[in-house]
Amino acid sequence: MGATKKLLVVDDAATVRLYHRKVLRDAGWTVDEAVNGLEALEKALAADGEEPYDLYVVDVNMPKMDGYTFIRELRSQASEAAQAPVMMVSTESRSHDASRAFAAGSNCYLVKPAGPSALVLTAALLLGDAQAANKAARGMNA
Amino acid sequence: MTITRTATAPPDGAARAKISDVDFNKFREFFYRKTGIQFDDNKRYFVDKRLQDRVEATGSGSFREYFASLRFEANGREMQQLVNAMTVNETYFFRESYQFDCMVNSMLDEIVKTRVPGSRVRIWSIPSSTGEEPYSIAIYLLERWKQINAYEVEIMSSDIDTDVLASAQRGLYSPRSVANLPKPYLQKYFRETAKGEWQICDDLIDAVTFSRVNLTDAADTRRFRNVDIVFCRNLLIYFDDTSRRVAAEAMYEAMSPGGFICLGHSESMSRISSLFTVRRFSDAMVYQKPRGGV
Amino acid sequence: MGLKRAEAPGTGAVADLPAPGEADQAIDWVEALQSGDTALRRTAAATLAGRAAACPLLCAQLETETDPSVRTALFNSVVMIGGPDAAEGLMPLLRSEDPQLRNAAIEAMAEMPDAVAPCIERLLDDEDPDVRIFTVNILGMLRHPRVQDWLMQVLAHDPDVNTVATAIDALAEAGDSDALPALAIAAQRFAGNPFIEFAASVARERIEAP
Repeated sequence: MGATKKLLVVDDAATVRLYHRKVLRDAGWTVDEAVNGLEALEKALAADGEEPYDLYVVDVNMPKMDGYTFIRELRSQASEAAQAPVMMVSTESRSHDASRAFAAGSNCYLVKPAGPSALVLTAALLLGDAQAANKAARGMNA
Repeated sequence: MTITRTATAPPDGAARAKISDVDFNKFREFFYRKTGIQFDDNKRYFVDKRLQDRVEATGSGSFREYFASLRFEANGREMQQLVNAMTVNETYFFRESYQFDCMVNSMLDEIVKTRVPGSRVRIWSIPSSTGEEPYSIAIYLLERWKQINAYEVEIMSSDIDTDVLASAQRGLYSPRSVANLPKPYLQKYFRETAKGEWQICDDLIDAVTFSRVNLTDAADTRRFRNVDIVFCRNLLIYFDDTSRRVAAEAMYEAMSPGGFICLGHSESMSRISSLFTVRRFSDAMVYQKPRGGV
Repeated sequence: MGLKRAEAPGTGAVADLPAPGEADQAIDWVEALQSGDTALRRTAAATLAGRAAACPLLCAQLETETDPSVRTALFNSVVMIGGPDAAEGLMPLLRSEDPQLRNAAIEAMAEMPDAVAPCIERLLDDEDPDVRIFTVNILGMLRHPRVQDWLMQVLAHDPDVNTVATAIDALAEAGDSDALPALAIAAQRFAGNPFIEFAASVARERIEAP
């Protein structure tokens, strides 16, 4: 079968990164982290060509480079890693947040705090990991 | 600039500070946030030992006490000591040469694409330390840049320490310092002295303009303009947050639009400034002042 | 061609600008702030750091300035001026629709602890939970003796789960054992929320570590 999927979690809050990394690793994937959009872009570019990321899990509000800008910069790169799916995870109260996310190139928008099953299910669907998706779906109403 | 670390031995009979698993996690999270450097679990011994050194050197009673004072200090001095302890800082010829490869294979060609042959290209190496970096750049340009004869390249190099500047100006090096140089270059650009040291040739010394500069002092940095490539490697990581930012902004100001800046391999603009865009070339990842920037 | 010795650092094609502080009288820096010339705007922004009365103008310029390097100079100058004008001037930027501008304002405010402290309670009381979250972000970076008290206030009273989560995150690194009771209250208020439970346990573990 294919190699283990590789994810990048991007958020300035350490506990959020820890949480996402734990939940996503438990689902069987490899998970790296970045504290803001600029570090995320560096890691995405560095990984490209050899072991590109399969999915990005991205926050909106971060210092130096916000999530929307990161996604736009990522999508403007002419590489395989740049086209990998992006899941945006953020707080909701501002209007136009989700549509901005899609306009920037995100594939999905989850509202924080994301429950573990929802997080894994969404990631699994974006990754095409049917087994993980089914397992997470069973956990959704628990 | 070789930094010698003195190992601090604990007082007779005193136990070294205990670093629990939670302490280690707390510390590496903090260090990662501040510097971008990540320590794997397998670096545990490396980190613990140095943390214990710092706990003792600062006279803290415990890791916790040390961490609290580290986190809340205003002047960044202990952070500087800590970073120093956690990183290896040794200078030698052709150190991190993949960035020099990038210079001659990618960056320079892009810079001169819109320039008339015969025009000037400016490179700034800071800190110069004892000169290994600017002279490495000079050798690379002469030996490995295909277009060197079509342009005039100025190499400027600066440091805050006048002693190292004097040393750089002298150009005398130990065998260790030149160990990474291909033998033909060593033969061509250096002369071995009676003591077994290596004296760099006058032509290269003349090619570099050295100056004393404090990167956080606008009066110093203001003199630099239209710099096309900046090498600022393994310096900013030792600065506190504010000084780092000030320095990066000063270098931005000094650069031409489209100019490039290279940081050390474990440094990142993601902890410093959002002014630069990141560019990945086959040899290296570098930062660029936007072409539309002024 | 080849290597050429530079005559003096930085000579060659130098812009005809007086350096900040020199020939100050020759240029109306306030007017220059509106110039179409980006470099001039940036120099104006930097120069006006020396003129406290210009603070409202600098803050106003931030609302419309598009060049990142000029924005940076504007923020630097506002922070340097400091005081209530600076804090009040930057506060509206927390509501900006531009996340880069918002986050830059957060970072700038975090550098002015004395100026920003009088505003914190008011900000933590804001109707908009995002504004409260951004305020907690500021607290996470602020060097002020009351930071932990304010964070504890959020843990005990704030109705929004993300604001509380952000405060827990800030305490995980910076908190001491005085914060433990408030942490327990927050965990209880949001019991059943997997993220809050996780974050609170991490914070507790890191604070309690002997």
